Amino acid sequence: MMFRTRLLLIFAVAITAAVGIVELIVSSSARRAFESMEARRVNAIVAQFHKEFQRRGEEIVRTVEGIADTALAREIAITPDPSSYLTEADALASTNRLDLLELVAADGAIVSSHQWQARFGYKEDWLANEHDWQSRAAFLKREELPEAVTLALMAVRTVVAGEMKLYVAGGRALDREFIASLVAPEGMRVLLYRNLAPGFAPSELIDAGGPVASSSLLRPLVEQVETQRREAVGTIGHGASAETFHALPLAGRDNDVLGVLLVGNSRRELVQLEGSMLQTAVIVAVTGILLAIVLSWWATARITRPVQQLAESAGRVAAGNWGATVEVASRDEIGQLAAAFNRMTHELVEQRDRLVQAERVAAWRELARRLAHELKNPLFPLQITVENLQRAREKYPDQFDEVFREGTSTLLAELANLKQIIGRFSDFAKMPAPEMQSVNLNDLVAETMRLFEAQLANAGIGASVQLDPALRPVQVDGEQVTRVLRNLILNAVDAMPGGGTLTVRTAALGTGVRLEVSDTGQGLTPEECERLFTPYYTTKTHGTGLGLAIVQSVVSDHKGRISVESETGRGTTFRIDLG
Amino acid sequence: MAALGSAATRPHYGGTLRVEIRESPPSPEVFGVPKGFVLTTWEAGRRAVFTADENAPGGRPFLDNVDIQLARSLRDQSVDLELGKADVVELGLAELRRHAAGRWPSSPVRLMALVFSPRVTDARVREALALAVDRSAIHSVLLQKQGEISGALLPQWISGYAFVFGASADMAKAQALVASLAPADRTLSLAVDDAANRGIADRIQLNARDAHLAVSIVPATANADVRLVETRIPSADVPHALASVAMAFGLNEPAAARNPEEQYLAERALLDGYRVIPLFHLPDVYGAGPRVQGGPVIDQLGEWRFDSLWLEDRP
Repeated sequence: MMFRTRLLLIFAVAITAAVGIVELIVSSSARRAFESMEARRVNAIVAQFHKEFQRRGEEIVRTVEGIADTALAREIAITPDPSSYLTEADALASTNRLDLLELVAADGAIVSSHQWQARFGYKEDWLANEHDWQSRAAFLKREELPEAVTLALMAVRTVVAGEMKLYVAGGRALDREFIASLVAPEGMRVLLYRNLAPGFAPSELIDAGGPVASSSLLRPLVEQVETQRREAVGTIGHGASAETFHALPLAGRDNDVLGVLLVGNSRRELVQLEGSMLQTAVIVAVTGILLAIVLSWWATARITRPVQQLAESAGRVAAGNWGATVEVASRDEIGQLAAAFNRMTHELVEQRDRLVQAERVAAWRELARRLAHELKNPLFPLQITVENLQRAREKYPDQFDEVFREGTSTLLAELANLKQIIGRFSDFAKMPAPEMQSVNLNDLVAETMRLFEAQLANAGIGASVQLDPALRPVQVDGEQVTRVLRNLILNAVDAMPGGGTLTVRTAALGTGVRLEVSDTGQGLTPEECERLFTPYYTTKTHGTGLGLAIVQSVVSDHKGRISVESETGRGTTFRIDLG
Repeated sequence: MAALGSAATRPHYGGTLRVEIRESPPSPEVFGVPKGFVLTTWEAGRRAVFTADENAPGGRPFLDNVDIQLARSLRDQSVDLELGKADVVELGLAELRRHAAGRWPSSPVRLMALVFSPRVTDARVREALALAVDRSAIHSVLLQKQGEISGALLPQWISGYAFVFGASADMAKAQALVASLAPADRTLSLAVDDAANRGIADRIQLNARDAHLAVSIVPATANADVRLVETRIPSADVPHALASVAMAFGLNEPAAARNPEEQYLAERALLDGYRVIPLFHLPDVYGAGPRVQGGPVIDQLGEWRFDSLWLEDRP
């Protein structure tokens, strides 16, 4: 991955993470604030409910007390046969705006019932079981009606006339009108579940408008409150339609849960707030990422450009331009790196120059050594021959002619040898530029091998020529390539003094050709392979060490490549790729 | 009540008796003519005026005229009586409690009963309802003790054996009978022919509920499983009355009976199977204003008797 891309990713990730963390913190804070506000609003509604509940209870108590204080109530209480008062509860309830009113005799028998007139004579034992109704506040009661059951806020007072007694039990239904009297702030609503029968009845979950739709969603919460008899909190719905409900049990006289008050608080505002914050976070993150791109661009321009220049300069050094330098544009680490690079290349150039100088001296020394060695060999016979000629003239004049003849022949031969040695050095010194022409390498190989047939046969070496018929003509200097092949063949012959097999092989490459010359001699060590193409280096006891140097020079002039593979005891293969 | 047979006033002629009734006979022939009077005005559905017959066989009635307003609701009649706009009115069940005094009841001449539709085939449900109804509570409170509790078709005063037919409630037995029914058979629809009897129907519904029978009250026009009906006993002659009641309730014609034992058996046969559940024998009850003297205004069978009445001069 490019440094620039990596830097961009680091910037982007850092900014996104930072924005995300900030968004989480802000969202968490907002949620806590919302929940705190929700708790306050719920408490306010619950307090309002209790206040309204108490107010209505007191109102009902006053109304029932008013009925109990009437002369009619006293009259009913003392009459031995109250059957003629069957409809009095209707009139009294209507006058006093009560939903429920029953006049009950001391024995608990209903004298008159507003809510269920036909129940006259039925017993209301729960009234007789309580001894002190006069100080009793209003309470919740489940009240049976002809067609239904309702939940009512009831109060009971007694009319005592001597030994006679009459119970006045009146109340008002806890219905949607009651819910409507509770003013809930926007986003909140108040529901009432009337627990009038075993099991959850969806129709008994009401709000100010009547039965609540999708009431089944609240069933678990209602049932939880009924079971645990204490407040519970639950959330229904998802997303913006989610609503958190606080459910409070409403207990009756016997502490049984007769109703559940549910205060719902829409989470729409919170969801919208969170959505808004998320949107802002996304915008900030996107802006941050764009900023990261710009920053990373700028930073990489400042950091990577010098690095890139360094890389390019290093590439030039690798390509042989050891004098390559970079501009030192700053004094920071990058600038120090550039200065160090410049110092390095400067020292490389100096070292190269020193090395060249040393190699040149070494070459001259090697050349001198070789020349001395090569020239010393023919000079010694020359010196002996001349000394023989001098001694023969002085001591054996009669044999001088014969000695002179033999001596001059030897002198000529050694001089020819000296000439040949000088010629080789001269050839290496004045290697000409190749003259390219289209040459069929197979023909060239075949022709050269024919020249060596006799020599190979004398040396006990078998020849194997493997020519690729698909080989195409290549642009080479035929004379120089022939010289290369001859040098390689001669080397191979020298490597197989006890005979062996010489293999010459051609092969077509993609756009060029390959020439291989293999022998089955003793092979070369890796160190010998490394120095093989060094001028004047030889592994043989004779020779100038210029053969393979010439070969490498020719191949190099042809933009080709030469390599050697050798295995000790198995032989050596020279491989030349041209074209 | 001073108006009832008071000896403080003396009979005298003159005056118009203002009467209001709920019925609206289609013709004067159906309405009939009170003894000692002749029909002088007939306004169908509104009014009938009878004038004293100067040549009546028993002598001229004290009243000059009897002006009868037709088709007046029971409540309007009661209000008119209280306001002095009427002298004689019919009293319904609801008005009985408001006019505890000044009532003129006849002998029990109407039978209130529950009559089952033929489609209620299971006798157990019919018997369960018969045993569930608490007649005494209805009689004491709703009927203000008017009439008689009865399990017979004919009233005691006509047949003499009505007391033999049981009329007491037995809730335990009723519940046991209902328990033996399939749940689908534990529901009944009850229609009330006379809206004035709605309170009684409500109480029957409540009693049935205690027996675990679900009774729903439906409009009078509905084809109900059981109806709360009244029928008038037209005659004090047992065979004639029994046949008439049987016909009114859609029962089979009773067997001919020449003595009380056979008459009892005939009536028992009609009631077997609980197709009809007799509840009460009710009188016609009229209320009279304080200036009406010389009552009662009806005879034992509820027929008008205006010829013996006179009006005390009061504003």
